[in-house]
Amino acid sequence: MVGMQLRGFALVIGLLLLWELSVRSGVVRSESWPAVSTILQALVTGFKLGGWGEVFGSSLYRMALGFLLAALAGVMLGLVLGASALLHRIAMPTLEIFRVLPSPAIVPPLIFLLGVDDALKVTVIAIAAFFPILLNTIAGVKAADPVHLLVARTFRVPRRRILLGVQLPSALPYVFAGCRISLGIALIVTVVTEMIAGSAGVGYYIVSMQYAMRASEMYAAIILLSAIGYLLNRLFLALERRSLRWAHGLERQAAHG
Amino acid sequence: MSLRLRALAPGLAFIAFWIAALEVAARAGWVNRIFSPFPSEIAARLGRVIGSPAFPDALGSTIGLLAAGYLLACAAGILLGLAMGYHRPTYALLEPTLELLRPIPKPALLPPLILLLGLGAAMKVSIVFLGALFPVLINTIQGVRTVDPVLVDVARTFRRGVLKTVFRVVLPASLPMILSGMRVSLGLGFILVTLSEMLTGTHGLGAQLVDAQRAFRVQDMYAWTVVLAVLGLALALSFDALERRLIFWSSKR
Amino acid sequence: MAELLEIERVGKTFGAPAEAIVAIRSVDLSVAKGEFVSIVGPSGCGKSTLLQIVAGLVPASAGEVRLEGQAVTAPPTGVVYLFQQYSRSLLPWLSVEKNVRFGFSHARSLSPREAEERCVHYLDMVGLADFRRRYPWELSGGMQQRVAIARALAAEPRMLLLDEPFSSVDALTRLELHGLILELWHKTGLTILLVTHDVEEAVYLSDRIALLTRRPAQVAEVFANALPRPRKPVESREDPRFLELRHELLTRLLQPA
Repeated sequence: MVGMQLRGFALVIGLLLLWELSVRSGVVRSESWPAVSTILQALVTGFKLGGWGEVFGSSLYRMALGFLLAALAGVMLGLVLGASALLHRIAMPTLEIFRVLPSPAIVPPLIFLLGVDDALKVTVIAIAAFFPILLNTIAGVKAADPVHLLVARTFRVPRRRILLGVQLPSALPYVFAGCRISLGIALIVTVVTEMIAGSAGVGYYIVSMQYAMRASEMYAAIILLSAIGYLLNRLFLALERRSLRWAHGLERQAAHG
Repeated sequence: MSLRLRALAPGLAFIAFWIAALEVAARAGWVNRIFSPFPSEIAARLGRVIGSPAFPDALGSTIGLLAAGYLLACAAGILLGLAMGYHRPTYALLEPTLELLRPIPKPALLPPLILLLGLGAAMKVSIVFLGALFPVLINTIQGVRTVDPVLVDVARTFRRGVLKTVFRVVLPASLPMILSGMRVSLGLGFILVTLSEMLTGTHGLGAQLVDAQRAFRVQDMYAWTVVLAVLGLALALSFDALERRLIFWSSKR
Repeated sequence: MAELLEIERVGKTFGAPAEAIVAIRSVDLSVAKGEFVSIVGPSGCGKSTLLQIVAGLVPASAGEVRLEGQAVTAPPTGVVYLFQQYSRSLLPWLSVEKNVRFGFSHARSLSPREAEERCVHYLDMVGLADFRRRYPWELSGGMQQRVAIARALAAEPRMLLLDEPFSSVDALTRLELHGLILELWHKTGLTILLVTHDVEEAVYLSDRIALLTRRPAQVAEVFANALPRPRKPVESREDPRFLELRHELLTRLLQPA
């Protein structure tokens, strides 16, 4: 077992070494194909000089803002559309159209309406991150145990209390899953908007390094971006696990019968 | 059929309401006529855009390159996924590499690919391939893993051989999960091909969109947006139809 | 004794007129204040549906249910319906105490301390005061049912509707819960309407027993229970009056249609 796993890691190291060698030995001579060591150097330099903070800082800020807006709108609208079949039927086709439109394509029209700075980017991020949360919240509300609703009724719990006190908590596992997906999307779309209409942030940085043919810095930024994405995902998973202990407990109970 | 239309009616009415509202707002000057969508104008431009010689070229380029990258990714993802899902040593070998590559946001790979492959078709197909590969691959592995072991054992007792077992039993059983991954990949591929066209400004619908935006042909730009939206909708609906036909037997639906 | 509940010619039909299923043909029953009445019948005869109609959770197709003279069209105040699937009836994201509070916190404005005291009081009555901070999935089936009972009592209703509340607990726990229910009934003076398929349970607990026919349901007969109170778990079940009534009921139930 351990042997198999070691082989996996060995493969990764082997591939990286191959990459390094391909440049060192002169087999591949290209400005766009830097050695692993130079990339790592650029990565470290960025930390030493504090350059990464600047590059990623504004991106993370926009991402966070867009994500929070998406989460708020997604959960609120999701609760309403999940609880009311009629409103769901009315609103869904309109929402579907925006959902199937690729997010980069939303940018040019919005440029004319919102300009090219943060308002535009945050809006596009929010629109893209909105849908997984909306759809998951709707699914969560619809999946509510009908017995819970009957309990609320027999105790004559008022409608608003039912929505917030029963349907929302019941939907939380779904909401969390949707938020986790949206977080990843928010990060990607932040980068995308900065690539298309940027003047700051990671996307703009990567494209700038591409134009300047500074491949090491470009790859270094991509690596750091991936690491941040991965970390955010793990952090969110940990948060999810703590907040949804009751849901996990429920699963365990169901499994034991 | 009429039942479905009746179900859609409120939603379609809502859309019609918004289009009408936009038209009124634009005509009355409540919103900026030039920069805001003006439905009747857009409809007129749309007709011209579709009739123009640039249209088939752009549409063909987008669909063609998307299809190429997507189908390659699905083939590779399913085959590799079947191997990794079914054969533990293969999984152990490749998993670390995959786990390292997976978190990389694929749009971020666009600039490196442009440096390496230029602005043409090869780059676009590559980015679509890279983006579409992972959801299909991961879902295939998951799908294989969750196949009822009884099914696999039954195949084994009939001594059907590994290949037959995998293709005749494991693959169909994992189909719902695989299709779910393929659906995500299609969306992602569409985003990536559009993005690459927008950044390189050469062929394709994305390029036309950006072109119109830069030249301040605003209503043309909206027309191209509509084309993209319709294409996106067509892709989504086609996929739904395909899925329904393929896994009519699955209880998960 | 005043009649608290009157069920008059209640009928229930499901489905479109062409393929209607008559669950209940016509049921007439009265329950006096402070009485303990059971409804027994074969499986699927519609007794749960009848109880849900009384609870105001399901509308009747014909006839009327009156509580203290008022027609029941929605869950009335002062009536709590206890579910057969008690573990699903407890809200999994709330602790035991919060579950109990869920039943009454919206109805009265009590200070947090008063609310807590009330929860502890009723949890104490069912013997679960020490478990108030636990979560439902941490408790056994019998304990979960007791929490549901505490929650119902905490709402201080006039009438309890029990829908086969003990059918999914083991035999010994069931006997304990019988004792608990009788004790609570004596203490609170509540009116209880119990639906069960367990004849012995009905005979052990109630003052009167209504026997329902197979679907479409009607009241075949209402039996008065001569078994003296207070009832004792072992002795009462060996009493000739118990056995006689049990014999009568079982014979009628096992008769071919």
